[in-house]
Amino acid sequence: MNPKPATKRKIVDKTVKMVSGLGALIGIFFLIWILYIVIQRGASSINWDFFTKLPVPPGVTGGGISNAIVGTFLMTLLASLVGIPIGLLAGVYLSEFGRYDRFGELVRFAANALMGIPSIIIGLFVYALIVLPMRHFSGWAGAAALAIIMIPVVARTTEDMLSLVPNSLREAVLALGAPRWKMTLGVIFRAAKTGLITGALLAIARVSGETAPLLFTSLNNVYWTKSLNEPTGNLTVTIFNFAMSPYEDWNRTAWGASLLITFAVLFLTLVARIIFREVKQR
Amino acid sequence: MKLDSDRRSRSDAELLPKTESPSERDFKSVNGIGWEPKIAVRNLNFHYGKKQALFENNLDIAPNKVTAIIGPSGCGKSTHIRVYNRIYSMYRDQKAVGRVIIDGKNILDQDSDLIELRKKIGMIFQKPTPFPMSIFDNVAYGLRLHFEANKSALSDRVEEALRSAALWDEVKDILNKPGTELSGGQQQRLCIARAIAVEPEILLMDEPTSAIDPLATSKIEDLVGILKARYTIVIVTHNMQQAARISDYTAFFYEGRIIEFGKTKKIFTKPDNKQTEDYITGRFG
Repeated sequence: MNPKPATKRKIVDKTVKMVSGLGALIGIFFLIWILYIVIQRGASSINWDFFTKLPVPPGVTGGGISNAIVGTFLMTLLASLVGIPIGLLAGVYLSEFGRYDRFGELVRFAANALMGIPSIIIGLFVYALIVLPMRHFSGWAGAAALAIIMIPVVARTTEDMLSLVPNSLREAVLALGAPRWKMTLGVIFRAAKTGLITGALLAIARVSGETAPLLFTSLNNVYWTKSLNEPTGNLTVTIFNFAMSPYEDWNRTAWGASLLITFAVLFLTLVARIIFREVKQR
Repeated sequence: MKLDSDRRSRSDAELLPKTESPSERDFKSVNGIGWEPKIAVRNLNFHYGKKQALFENNLDIAPNKVTAIIGPSGCGKSTHIRVYNRIYSMYRDQKAVGRVIIDGKNILDQDSDLIELRKKIGMIFQKPTPFPMSIFDNVAYGLRLHFEANKSALSDRVEEALRSAALWDEVKDILNKPGTELSGGQQQRLCIARAIAVEPEILLMDEPTSAIDPLATSKIEDLVGILKARYTIVIVTHNMQQAARISDYTAFFYEGRIIEFGKTKKIFTKPDNKQTEDYITGRFG
């Protein structure tokens, strides 16, 4: 048997390294490009009025998108209040009770499928379920659509984070005579705490940038929303409307809103990553 | 109390079937010494899914003594003691068949109360398993589960348990620190404190010193010697010197079967069985 030539191995090694490095470079290139453009075009719109004033008609100077900021915040908050607890509980079921049974498998499959469904379909679903019977768009419907998107994301990350907790810890708790639910809430949750927070933050980051599901549900509103019963202003649909308009002022505002939402999501993701790094280090 | 012992003797009588397998004869000769077993294992078989890991185990565990379970890796030592507190039933595909009688009750019965059972039986695992909470809360965890205690009673019991586990002097000033920050040997003693805080009757130790250094090991061995006055201790170990040092009785396991059981002294000096002798003299294992 002849030994394989070393030169060939080295060439293959170098090529693979270069090609994969190129792929990584392209990936990060677009992120940097987007950030650059968003900052370049959006930075000029960011000022005090931007955060405090309502949108103004084209041609009028000044104005802001305070209604959209508050609307996005409110709907995301509401969606989180509903979606995170339900997702957490589903994840607990998957990891602690239904890890091997049929129902658990079904739920896991359903969660994966739900995560893969385009978010516009979720928007349409909520449109049929809530908007049509109510006969008007509303913040409630928007929050509901976002919550539905959150549930499977939180459920799967919760399951993943809980399965990182070694079974030896579960055995130790049960061996002391603890019932399963106390073990899960009192010890396993605590052991997985940072991972669970990370999962929730990533889910929030994910839905706060959603546009499609809001088009059919909360729609948008250029005025202050008095209650979530009305169409509710939000950042992403504002970007959609303003960017499509022929007016330069509005276009500029859309860039400003893009800058805001991009960095808010980036910030959330970064916080989540930093917290998660602590999990791994332990 | 009377009722309890009545029930026990009745079930003991029931324990001895008319037809005897060889291992049950062994059991009788052991029991002929005249003690009543704290745990009586009868015809125990254990399965991991389709794979059988224990075959017809029969064993008596003496009260307030240390029983060591020795044997080569994978011979079913841990599997065997993991039946005593039914911890295996956490896993869907694991199944035990036979009888394990503790205080007159077959704990393998469908309706046996696992929480009561585990309150009575503490367990120490191979790797220390401190909970992600303070040293104090670690020890108080079981107490809070099973007792309604006010604050001062609770801290008294925690101190007592930590003293019994020979850890108090090392941690008395850092009770609020996370248990995970202690050294491996300290963590293991913390787990012992946590287990004995609820005052169990039996302590199961599954290779408790295999993951810690020699000095910490000797501390834990000393501890076992002291604790047996209050608890029935079953310790799985693959360290034969350890078994010889600290146990009163020894069971030798091989390939899921109990090959020989008897007083530790006898097992280590003149074992009846050739396999036991080969293992003890280091010819295999």
